[in-house]
Amino acid sequence: MSTATTATTKWWNGGKSPFNVEYGKLMMWYFLMSDAFTFGAFLISYGTIRFSTNGWPDPNVVFQSYPLKSATSGPAPLVFVSIMTFILIISSVTMVQAVKAGHEMKKNKVVMNLIWTIIGGAAFLSCQAWEWNHLHHEGAWWGHNPFLNSDLTQSSTNFTNYFFTITGFHGFHVFSGVIINIVMLIMTLNNSFEKRGHYLMIEKAGLYWHFVDLVWVFVFTCFYLI
Amino acid sequence: MSNEAVLHGVASSHDAHGDHHHEHHHHETFISKYVFSMDHKMIAKQFLITGMVWAVIGGLMSVLFRLQLGYPDQSFPWLEDLLGKWWAEKGHITAQGYYALVTTHGTVLVFFVLTAGLSGTFANFLIPLQVGARDMASPFMNMLSYWFFFAASIVMLSSIFVETGPFSGGWTAYPPLSALGDASPGSKTGMDLWLVAMALFVVSSLLGGLNYIATILNMRTKGMSMTRLPLTIWALFFTAVLGVLSFPVLLSGFILLIFDRNFGTSFYLSDIFVNGVGALPNEGGSAILFQHLFWFLGHPEVYIILLPAMGMVSEILSVNARKPIFGYMAMIGSLFAIAILAFLVWAHHMFVTGLNPFLGSIFVLLTLLIAVPSAIKVFNWLTTLWRGNIRFTPAMMFAIGFVSLFISGGLTGIWLGNSALDIHLHDTYFVIAHFHIVMGVASMFGMFAGVYHWYPKMYGRYLNNTLGYIHFWITMIGAYLIFWPMHYEGLAGMPRRYYDYSIWESFKNFVELNRFISTVAMIVFAVQILFLLNFFYSIWKGRKVTSQNPWGSNTLEWTAPIHPGHGNWPGEIPEVHRWAYDYGKDGREFIPQTEAVGADESHH
Amino acid sequence: MEQSEVIHIEHHQNKNEVRNVTIVLSVLTIVELILGFLMMDMAHGSTARLATKITIIVLMLAKAYYIVGYFMHLKHEIRNLIMTIVVPLLLFVWFITAFLYEGNSFRNLRNTYDPHFKEQQFIKKQPTEHSNKQEHKEGDHEEKKVME
Repeated sequence: MSTATTATTKWWNGGKSPFNVEYGKLMMWYFLMSDAFTFGAFLISYGTIRFSTNGWPDPNVVFQSYPLKSATSGPAPLVFVSIMTFILIISSVTMVQAVKAGHEMKKNKVVMNLIWTIIGGAAFLSCQAWEWNHLHHEGAWWGHNPFLNSDLTQSSTNFTNYFFTITGFHGFHVFSGVIINIVMLIMTLNNSFEKRGHYLMIEKAGLYWHFVDLVWVFVFTCFYLI
Repeated sequence: MSNEAVLHGVASSHDAHGDHHHEHHHHETFISKYVFSMDHKMIAKQFLITGMVWAVIGGLMSVLFRLQLGYPDQSFPWLEDLLGKWWAEKGHITAQGYYALVTTHGTVLVFFVLTAGLSGTFANFLIPLQVGARDMASPFMNMLSYWFFFAASIVMLSSIFVETGPFSGGWTAYPPLSALGDASPGSKTGMDLWLVAMALFVVSSLLGGLNYIATILNMRTKGMSMTRLPLTIWALFFTAVLGVLSFPVLLSGFILLIFDRNFGTSFYLSDIFVNGVGALPNEGGSAILFQHLFWFLGHPEVYIILLPAMGMVSEILSVNARKPIFGYMAMIGSLFAIAILAFLVWAHHMFVTGLNPFLGSIFVLLTLLIAVPSAIKVFNWLTTLWRGNIRFTPAMMFAIGFVSLFISGGLTGIWLGNSALDIHLHDTYFVIAHFHIVMGVASMFGMFAGVYHWYPKMYGRYLNNTLGYIHFWITMIGAYLIFWPMHYEGLAGMPRRYYDYSIWESFKNFVELNRFISTVAMIVFAVQILFLLNFFYSIWKGRKVTSQNPWGSNTLEWTAPIHPGHGNWPGEIPEVHRWAYDYGKDGREFIPQTEAVGADESHH
Repeated sequence: MEQSEVIHIEHHQNKNEVRNVTIVLSVLTIVELILGFLMMDMAHGSTARLATKITIIVLMLAKAYYIVGYFMHLKHEIRNLIMTIVVPLLLFVWFITAFLYEGNSFRNLRNTYDPHFKEQQFIKKQPTEHSNKQEHKEGDHEEKKVME
């Protein structure tokens, strides 16, 4: 769909939106800016602590398992987390499709894509739950770090402290994103948006969901790759 | 096709909203009008009055600890009757009580009075009225913003009454005092409540800030371009931006602190030995990290407090000097520069913490850069006053007082911004004097100026002028008498936050001076009570406003009825044709923004 | 034209764009993963490892650009809106620089003045099986105390 519509309309009963967006979307954008600073502060303080510490665990040694892995098979670093990453990317794509379908006022397509997005989010959360559980069984938790630095010296507990705090905070965002998407799904099924004549609400939920994906890009890089 | 539907959908839903405002046939209950109000004007008054309550509590706390500083060896038995044993045993303010008072005074004044009370009040009141909107972008979120603030207030207030006392490790809440319950009595439940209150406060300021930004950007009336906005709105806009971008960093810092307190982490803790407990297992953290995170908010917070005052003062000076504001674009530019620099200078609060000296020198440079936009603003205010036809209303007096205080306090900032001088001056009364003048008292003056100036719009009545002048002169002279001597004490090395200076050989000679400061502080506090009496008396009994535009002002709020209903303007929203500062132009005293530009009008 | 305003809303977004961006994101992620695997064989603290890490960060920023620009549709918004989002993000530059510089400086400070902190980096531990880590950890603490 590539249309350029010129609409003559009374906007705000007075002036007009300078950015051609309604205020809700603007607020969502600026909320996400604000949230970016929350995550930014977390990740930057993680970086600060890591820079102020001698040695750090090697992520490839720590994150090397996956569900149903047999005891005999060797370490498989990066495998499980790349699955998680792709789940989140795919769910972002389905969210884009839902927003697009909303623009085209295709209710069924919106519903279908929202369901896929919710499934993606739930799958991601399950993966995270498994990983947390697995690490906890290895003795890792807030205040407990069983892993050694890459040079085999004693590691600071801040490795696990930051890992659980930041992935937990991200997981909380994914969780609330799933809840928002479920609300959107229910509203779509109830024809709320059909009655309003637009699906702008889905667009805002979409922004939030993509932001969650965006944060994962950074979390993934900071904790699993480098 | 569908896009048209989208646009019409939005537009028509908002038209319906607008019509709803026009009619006013629905009956408003007491609850919906005064308690869970969604009218920005009522929310502004709620913020103002809650802020006033906090100002009285915070001010009273300063009177109490000034009592200790001024009369360290005297006992006041009535204090124990009044406050109980924990705070004032045998008529002496106790040491723990003293630290609790100092900490709560700081927290309350900085966050609850000068952030929520100041920008909460005037952003809510002025933004829709001055940009020409019926209400905030989201009245519901606006209401939530107040009620989160209210909840934060309740929690903070309750922390004063817990058995171990409120948090007493300083308003900056540095770990380990804030991170370890064993560190001091106030670090136990008091600190937990402090953190909960502050978290609620962050939510409140976020909800408010997003609303302010969205309203200023998106809801301006026809013709109100960004460069026609009054400077109040520009200042409140940058204030909101600062809040939205810096409070989340504080929240992150607090979340990490909560984990340190409760879940055995060591983000901020390392190598600690607690008396009676022994060595702690926490290793690898950095207490300085918290200070970085805190001041990343903390410095913008200074400007969150100051910018609204600056904006209102600009407006009030121009209106009452009957002259256009000098250098309107330079004013916006300097506001923008201050907002940017506010994020780049945080570590100048930490020069002596072991901060890398090279990094410190960059922070010195960036800090001193703030002098440039500040000076631009000061000179523009002075040139606005220059040869003006000045009306000395109480609001104008306070606005001029603000400029005076901003200059006096700002100049000492240049001293403190130098890391080398800071080695001597940090944590002394010099710092106390500096930030109380430039941020505390100056912003209070901006707030008073705003209250006196917009009171007729808020309540349809005037404040009593005579009481206003008394209020101004005593506060003005008192502020200088309180804080000017502190510079000398600070230069002599007198540290802040000490409980009793009379037992130190080096500071014994300041006992008399401290007593003098305490006496003035009590007089000034009493005059603020006078202002409160004036305020509440005038709501019901003040002189009634009879004309729509009592100050002969150009801005839009004075085109609304004397008692504007929810929706602000009964008919169409006025359209704007010019900037807000056409005073004394073409032989006319003032030309409102709503007046179309004449064919033969001169250019400004 | 008194009350009416002309509003243009354009949707450049099309099916190809979503598909292309998805492919780009997947390729970037795969490249990141490949680099991650390559990095395992590089010595800790080597230049090659550092260069790989920097490359990964650049790829991360590229991914962020595609997500924000296309999925979040920012590229198709009005320029001023883009500026209000991007300009504040520039604050992160100094935010990150100062914090990391300070973190690094803090480590040097402690390595210089805190002998206990410094010698920790030379005491090797036995890499053990991941089970019974907890006890091992407590053992560590005792060792540390003995050394003190």
